[in-house]
Amino acid sequence: MIRQVSIFMENHEGRLNNLLKILAENNINIRSLNIAETMDYGIVRLILQETDRGIEVLKKHDIMSTLTPVLAAEISDQAGGLSILVDALTKEKINIIYAYSFLPKKTDNAIIIMRVEDEVLKKAVATLEAVPGINLLNRETLLLI
Amino acid sequence: MYWNKSYECMPREKLQELQLERLKRMVARIYHDVPFYRNKFQENGIMPEDVRSLSDLQKLPFTTKVDLRDNYPYGLFTVPLEQIVRIHASSGTTGKPTVVGYTRNDIATWSELMARSLVAAGARPHSVIQNAYGYGLFTGGLGVHYGAERLGASIIPISGGNTAKQIMIMRDFGSTVMTCTPSYAIYLAEVLNDMDIDPESLKLQIGIFGAEPWSENIRKDIERKLKIKAYDIYGLSEIMGPGVAIECECQNGLHIWEDHFIPEIIDPVTLKVLPHGSQGELVITTITKEGIPILRYRTRDITRIIDEPCSCGRTHLRISRLQGRTDDMLIIRGVNVFPTQIESVLLEIGEVEPHYQIVVRRDGSLDTIEIKVELSETMFSDKISNLEKLERRIKDRINSVTGINAKISLVEPKSLPRSEGKSQRVIDLRKI
Repeated sequence: MIRQVSIFMENHEGRLNNLLKILAENNINIRSLNIAETMDYGIVRLILQETDRGIEVLKKHDIMSTLTPVLAAEISDQAGGLSILVDALTKEKINIIYAYSFLPKKTDNAIIIMRVEDEVLKKAVATLEAVPGINLLNRETLLLI
Repeated sequence: MYWNKSYECMPREKLQELQLERLKRMVARIYHDVPFYRNKFQENGIMPEDVRSLSDLQKLPFTTKVDLRDNYPYGLFTVPLEQIVRIHASSGTTGKPTVVGYTRNDIATWSELMARSLVAAGARPHSVIQNAYGYGLFTGGLGVHYGAERLGASIIPISGGNTAKQIMIMRDFGSTVMTCTPSYAIYLAEVLNDMDIDPESLKLQIGIFGAEPWSENIRKDIERKLKIKAYDIYGLSEIMGPGVAIECECQNGLHIWEDHFIPEIIDPVTLKVLPHGSQGELVITTITKEGIPILRYRTRDITRIIDEPCSCGRTHLRISRLQGRTDDMLIIRGVNVFPTQIESVLLEIGEVEPHYQIVVRRDGSLDTIEIKVELSETMFSDKISNLEKLERRIKDRINSVTGINAKISLVEPKSLPRSEGKSQRVIDLRKI
């Protein structure tokens, strides 16, 4: 399981810049980023190299954040790679709330981050662990990759 | 415990006799000493002798803030300046302030009523009162101050603002009573939380909050966050200052000190007096004031009179918590909306911190209302659909309470301007 930092943000210029500058000034590396937006606001989702320190720094700057457990799966980077994963979850009637990709440094495989409902999280883990060719990553491995 | 039991618990019949006697004397004085009132009486064909019963008060003319302004600064004073020992003024958001003067007796009466009020809210001679109302032309600071001294409590005249210092003093001096605006109390609670100070570790027990309308939900919120009992106090400089009315331990309406003031409720449009229990504009007549007695002052505050006996034993009528001001009242597409209604919805939804701002615009010929609500930690979800659901819930509740369709905008925590005094909840951008 991976801890993702989610931040509520009003949807106008300068807000993202403010957040990124704070992280940069504190030397916190962002390993992956995803933004979901509506007309008025958005949610910035981050995988940080140092989650705890990141949260502390954000709090110090009055930026509200929350931790969300997400899954990280290593899949093969070729046609149909992601389809195998989604197919396995669909068969178990597990809905993916959102997903985005993670850029690995040391492997040719693809890494996908996804969130499922909390109630089916364990089931999703068990399902994916049983699929050959899918490698669920824990935090340490993900951040090393 | 009462401060002055014989007056506070006076049988109503006796209280009304006293009121009538004082009213007659007051009416005669303003007729003879103030040209403004004499002219008004003559225009209406009324003589002071026409006041024979309390109900005759209804025949007398109203006084408004505009009248005070027109007679700026001293035109309505009934005594020469040499008898005035203090002058206060209320902030004039438009033009000149309104000026009031107090004789030595007026200050004594005010101190007495403020002492009664402090005791009704649970303060005692051994209390340590941290007074964060502003000291100065505003009546809040000095009003509470004199009452606390009369009571014999220890008053800390810290005045408003400088929150870090407020907290240091509260902690080090062991304040047991806090007096300030309710919005500042919320702000204090927030800062205490940020500083990781447990309110249980403080000696604070009682908060006496006023100078702006607040809701029952805000009371609960403050009581929970600061771990105190919170009481509503009412007053306005034109009538006296803080201590015109106060909540007792029953926390169910504010006793208005009827041996000095006569309250009425009128319809702000027809100006007709409404029966007890009806909501309308509060009108107050001062019957003992010497410096600047005021006849039927239109307070522009919306409330109702509660005439059922109160279990605290005080016989003086109560007014309900203020519902807003006639001039705060927003008319959105012909519907009357009070900011306090919106506030209570936000608190009822529970997950929302009471930080919001109402923005009214005119789009073509249509009024639009936007309510900016600061997102709180407990309600934040990283799923857009949850946030959308929350917006819809707020929107639906506001619609069912006020009948208007508002746009709800969730905004970042701590992004709306914070107040250390009165808060600006409404921004009306309509140009009419």
